[in-house]
Parts: sequence; C-alpha cells; structure tokens
Amino acid sequence: MSAPLPPKPQEPLLTGRRIIALWFPHWAAETSRADYDVTQPFALIDMHKNAQRLVALNGAACKAGLYPAMTLPDARALLPDVQTAMADPQDAATRLQKCAYWLQRYTPWIGEDTPLETSDGLTYYGLLLDISGCAHLFGGERALLEDMAARLATYRDGRSITLRAAIAGSIGAAWGLARFAPSDLTVVPEGQDAEAVLPLPPAALRLSPPHIDLCQRLGLDTVTELARFPRADLTRRFGPTPVLRLEQALGQAGESLNPYLPPPQFQAHKNLPQGVTQIEALAALIGELCAALAAQLQQAGQGAQRLDLALTRSDNAVMALSLPLAHPSADAAHMLRLFEERLTRLSGGLDAGFGIEQLRLAAARTAEIVTPQEHISLSGRLRKAAPMAALGELYDRLVSRLGANVVVRPVPHASYIPERAVRFASVLEAQQSGDDVSSIIDPATRPLFMLCAPEPIEVIAEIPEGAPYRFRWRRVLHEVTAAYGPERIAPEWWDGLVGDGQGASVGHNRRTRDYYRVEDMQGHRFWLYRDGLYERESDKPRWFMHGVFP
Amino acid sequence: MQRALNSQVKKANRQHKLNRLHRLVAHHEPVLQTGACVATGFADIDAYLSAHAGGGLPCGGLHEVAAGSAADMAAALGFAHRLAARFLHHAAEDDVLLYGQTHAACRDGGQPYGPALAAHGLSSQKLVYLDGVTLPDLLWAGEQALSCASVACSLLASSDSAPDFTHSRRLSLAARNAERPLILALGSTGASAATTRWRIAALPHNGWHVTLEKLRLAYDMPPPTGGWAVYSHHIDAQAQKHDTHIMPLMRRAV
Repeated sequence: MSAPLPPKPQEPLLTGRRIIALWFPHWAAETSRADYDVTQPFALIDMHKNAQRLVALNGAACKAGLYPAMTLPDARALLPDVQTAMADPQDAATRLQKCAYWLQRYTPWIGEDTPLETSDGLTYYGLLLDISGCAHLFGGERALLEDMAARLATYRDGRSITLRAAIAGSIGAAWGLARFAPSDLTVVPEGQDAEAVLPLPPAALRLSPPHIDLCQRLGLDTVTELARFPRADLTRRFGPTPVLRLEQALGQAGESLNPYLPPPQFQAHKNLPQGVTQIEALAALIGELCAALAAQLQQAGQGAQRLDLALTRSDNAVMALSLPLAHPSADAAHMLRLFEERLTRLSGGLDAGFGIEQLRLAAARTAEIVTPQEHISLSGRLRKAAPMAALGELYDRLVSRLGANVVVRPVPHASYIPERAVRFASVLEAQQSGDDVSSIIDPATRPLFMLCAPEPIEVIAEIPEGAPYRFRWRRVLHEVTAAYGPERIAPEWWDGLVGDGQGASVGHNRRTRDYYRVEDMQGHRFWLYRDGLYERESDKPRWFMHGVFP
Repeated sequence: MQRALNSQVKKANRQHKLNRLHRLVAHHEPVLQTGACVATGFADIDAYLSAHAGGGLPCGGLHEVAAGSAADMAAALGFAHRLAARFLHHAAEDDVLLYGQTHAACRDGGQPYGPALAAHGLSSQKLVYLDGVTLPDLLWAGEQALSCASVACSLLASSDSAPDFTHSRRLSLAARNAERPLILALGSTGASAATTRWRIAALPHNGWHVTLEKLRLAYDMPPPTGGWAVYSHHIDAQAQKHDTHIMPLMRRAV
C-alpha cells in the first residue's frame, strides 16, 4: 500500500530566509536560582490540582527516569534523594527575555516561540531567530550554532544550558527539527526543508495534544504519512490548523515571525575592545551614542519618546535602562543628562562586573517633533523657547530621578465620595482636564490636605448621633470647640452590585458617612467622619480622621 | 563706672566692626531687592512689607514658612499655599506650581486634595505634585524647577528635617538668579539663608498667627513686629456667604 505522493500544491517558497529555532529542554531547572548539585537529579515543583508535581527537570533527572507532570510522591518513590525547589515561571520567563536580549549579538530579529497548547499547563521554553544575512559574520551557519551552544554551555557557576537548535528555511521546519531531529544541532541546506521534515513524527508540526492523539490512533507515525493524504481530506478530519502547520513546515505557506523586541528604527551602538567599569567613562560613551542617535532623529524630524539603553557586560549579562520622555526630544544634551542622572543613582547598584563591552542605545518609541514657529515681537526680540518643551524637559528630569509614579498631577473625577473625587496621574500621561467637580463639591467644605487613608480616632460625643465633643488622634487629645456639619455622604448605590457580593457589602467602604469640620481649642481644624448611621447601620459607629484644614 | 564705660566702648567697637563687615559683604553681594514683588493679601502684613521691604514679597527669593509647633504644620502649609497662589497669580497663564513633599510630610499631613484647591486660589490643572521623596531629592527638584521658566513657583514641604545652611544658601542664590520664588514649608528650622521666614500658628476661630521672623532684603534690620493675627481664612468667608447649615452647630466657651 504505497500510494504515490500527491503532487505538491505549490513549490516551496525560496525566500532566502533562514530561521533558527532554539529549544531549551531544561530551561527552568537549569537557570533556577536554587542552589543544587548539577550532577544530581533536580526538579522544580508546583501545586497542581492539590498535588505537588514536577514541572521542570534537569538532564540528570530525565536520565534517571523522571518526567514532567509526574507527581512528587511518584518521583520520590523512584528516586528518594531527588533535589527539589518551587518553580517560578515568571522568573524563568524573565530570564528567557534576558537571553533574547543577549541573542541580539547574533541577529536583531528575535521572535517569540509559537505558544503551544498543553493539556497539563506546562511551559516549554524556546526562541526563534531570523538570521537571514547574518550567518556569514560568524563563519557560516554551523559555526554560528556551535558558537551559541558553546557560550550557553558556560552559563554561570559551572552550570550549562542544554540547547537544541535547528536552522531551516521556515519557522515550522526549524521548530520541528529542533525538537525531533536526531542530533542536537541541525542545519538544513536551503530548499531542502520538506525532505528534512518528512521523516519526523507528526508532533513536530506544532499540533495540539488532541490532534497528536488522533494521528496516533490513525497509525500516522511520520509527517510523510500525513502528507500523503489530500489536503481536503485532512482538513475535513483535523480542521484547518494542522493542514496550515503542515504547509508551513514544508515551506509551502508563509509565516511571519512575531518579534520579541522589534528592531528599532533609530539606534546607535558601540563595541569596545576592552571592558569599561568606570561610570565617568560610561557617561562619555553614552554621550557619544546620544549625539549619534540625536543626529539620526533630527534628520528624520522625529523625537524620541522612550529611550532604551542596553549595556552588555563581558560575562554576557545585559543591563537595560529604559527612560520615558514627557515630550518627544531629539536633544542629545538632554538625553545625556537623563542617563547621567540615572547612572549616578545606580552608582551603588550598577554592577559593571569585569567591564561593559557593548553599549546599544535605541529610540524605542518616536513621534514627530512639531517645531512651533518662533514669534518675533515688534521689538525684534525672539521670544523664549517654547514653554511646553521646557516643562517637558523638567518632567523628564524629575521622572528619571524620582520615578513616574511620584511626579504626578491631580485629575478631578465627578464623585461625591471624597477619596474618589480625585486621582493622581503621571505627568508623562497626556494632561486630561478631568470632570468638572465644582458643581457637586463646594471647595471650601473640603480640607486642603487629605490623609492617604482615613485614620481611626477615639471620639466622645455628647449624643451618639451628634458631633464629637473631644477626640484622640495620634495619641493627642483634642477638645472640640466648634463643629460644622454633618455633611452626609452615602455610598454610591451601584457600589457592591458588581463583583463580590454579601461579604463586601458590610465592608468599611459601604456605609453612610457623616462628615464634620471641627476646630479644637488651639485652633487646629480637622475633617472627620462617623462611619455608619447610629442604630441604623451600626450600633457602635467608628470615627475616622480624613483630612486637615490649614 | 569705668567698667560700664569700657563695656560701652566695646559695644560701640563691635557695632562698628559689624557695620564695616556688613558693608564689605554688601559690596560683593548687593542684596537690595530690585525685582518684582507681590502682596500677601493681608492688609496689615502688606502695609508693613511696603514700608520696609519695598512693596511686598520679592518674587526672586527663598521664603521659609515654619510651623509654630508640630501640630501647626497644616497651618504653615496653608499659609505657604496662599503665598504660592499669590505668586502664581502674578505669573503667566500656563505656568505651573510644583508642590513637593518628603515622605514624612506625606505621612503626617496627607496629600493635597484637588477639589479644595480652588478655595485657596489654586487650580488642580496647574499643580504638579511630588508624592513623597527624600529631602535631598526634594531640594534637587526645587533647584531643577528654578531652572525651568514655566514653573511659576515651587513649594517644598518637609515636616521633620530642614535643609542645612549650605543647601539653603544654594537655593536662595538660585531663586534670586532665576527671579522666581521658592517656598519651603518646614516643621523644624535651622540656620538658613532665606529672604523671609514666617512662623505660623493656628488660632481659634479660623485664624492664623503670623510672625515675620526674618526679612533679609538689606543689611539694616527692619523694626521687629509682634506678629499679626489674621482671620481672612476661607471658612469664615464661606460661612458668611452661605446659609446657616455651615454655621457652627455648637461653640463651646473657652
């Protein structure tokens, strides 16, 4: 029963595109921060359906017969002294991103790996690199792969990262070969993708688990057997995705690489013959990069809105500094000042190791610079520089030193609830006028200073539902001499309708408040409230201090 | 008799020496106010300032507003905001007020409340707020703001520690050169090179007791004042304007 291969629907696309697929079979375990003996079995565990299970293993553990998704008791039965640590998927993903940064030494175009559906929630770590036109810089494709594997093999502290990689003309072929080819490093000559993929099992086609199951039940052991069927039959049986994956792997259908880090349009970089450790020297180099970048930006009439600086250390660690700008800028001196500010703040924390070998500055986001026409007044004097730009540069300097969440401006919001009537927005966001609150709130009845959170106070009132007579706040007793109020503020009726139900409705925020403005014997003025209506919402209403009047 | 004469001669000598030193310093650093001035809006204080300070509060200078006691920090900040509003009123349309606080000031006194700003002559549109920084960062931010023409006034609040003389002098010079005001609201004070220093205490019945502790515009000292009690506080003004529900429900005899 050897039916001939049906004619290919179309010739493979000879695009000259070369893709590397990287697969790190033991990524999470090998890069884990846990301290363990690398020669002995080690596994990362997590909780899944109330059971501890293995999620990532090192090479020794795989050899010993453990496998991912195995429960921990099973693993211990097999291997009583297996070393374990809790898994931290977020940390592993961050390290993968750092690895992607580092891989920019080979190509600027690094792609995310195709996310694969797994039934058990395990994560597989891989990356895709488009190296079209880059390989000759490293002495050919095989030399490039071997260089990469050798550098990863000396990851740190005697640990190495296991790498399986393949170079092919399409993403699908490279992906499948990286995982299922007989050797760790595979290079497929140009135009021979189909021949390399056909002997692989169907799982090499990035199929979902039900589809792989179905292939097994149908007795389809290789891609060749799957490709034998007319595509229409396959679509009817499997749905459209597996057919698309098959054509992508054979190079018959195109696929785009989703870049992790899109190559920036404006960038400048510098490779140094020797590592630099001094901050002053770094600042001078960054100044040169800023000047180069600013020249590019000015030529294009663009201004940077975010600057990314990547410093590569001699041990391949990459430090990234990101600077948001309030207004698009193409001013090299301004950029340098911001970086200097950031570097001096880092002086304790900037760990240059054995020296920084490569600097790369990119304008990650740009916008057109609108240069306002300068006004020439009658006296012939030029007016001062545009005030918005000056203010923008001030915001940049403040944000770069103090942080974006510290430099803020208030945005009014139409709400009777005092703490909701205003929120703080970063100055980097476009200025919003907010709601007009003057119609619902009389400014004179509100304190100039609002405490960050209401503070509980002890109050003695003459009558339970009346104004306070004396109160103790922050351990100081205040005798009330005058009280204005109450101003009754009920919770918004829609509050509590959405989301959590019964439990939250008795919570602190859901009661009517009676606000009083009081003055004590020394003349200090406060804004305080009773939380809950007496005998209607609460038997023992609590009192809170909420603000101070000047 | 002889002794008293001696001490008088000594005193005169010392005064003479001091005067000579003052003249020497003044020669190198003319501090006489020439720039723009604003009025505080309190009639008594403005009368004193126009008599002794050449018309009002100088725009180019460092002004300190100190709290009479720890509990008076809110009153001091209120007075500082009032001054800031006067300076802002004097400046161009789009200029902003930079208001920065240290962590301690945020924790003790809270954050500025947008809806209330209008009652103090300020607008939330024009406010840029630094929500809790260290004192060195706060002073740095003040100096940066002085170098930016679009910041009409900076107000820096620190409830626990005050800048030392070196920093104070640095800011004072920067403010004078930039001809823009910088207001420091402080819970505690030390040696300072401020142009003016006010001390504010809260008074019952919505008032402030304002003392002008220092007025350094020229080397001849202005006559001392006993301070002023001012009651033009917004709550009273509003209470008179509004109907009875704002009137006090209760007032105890003190």
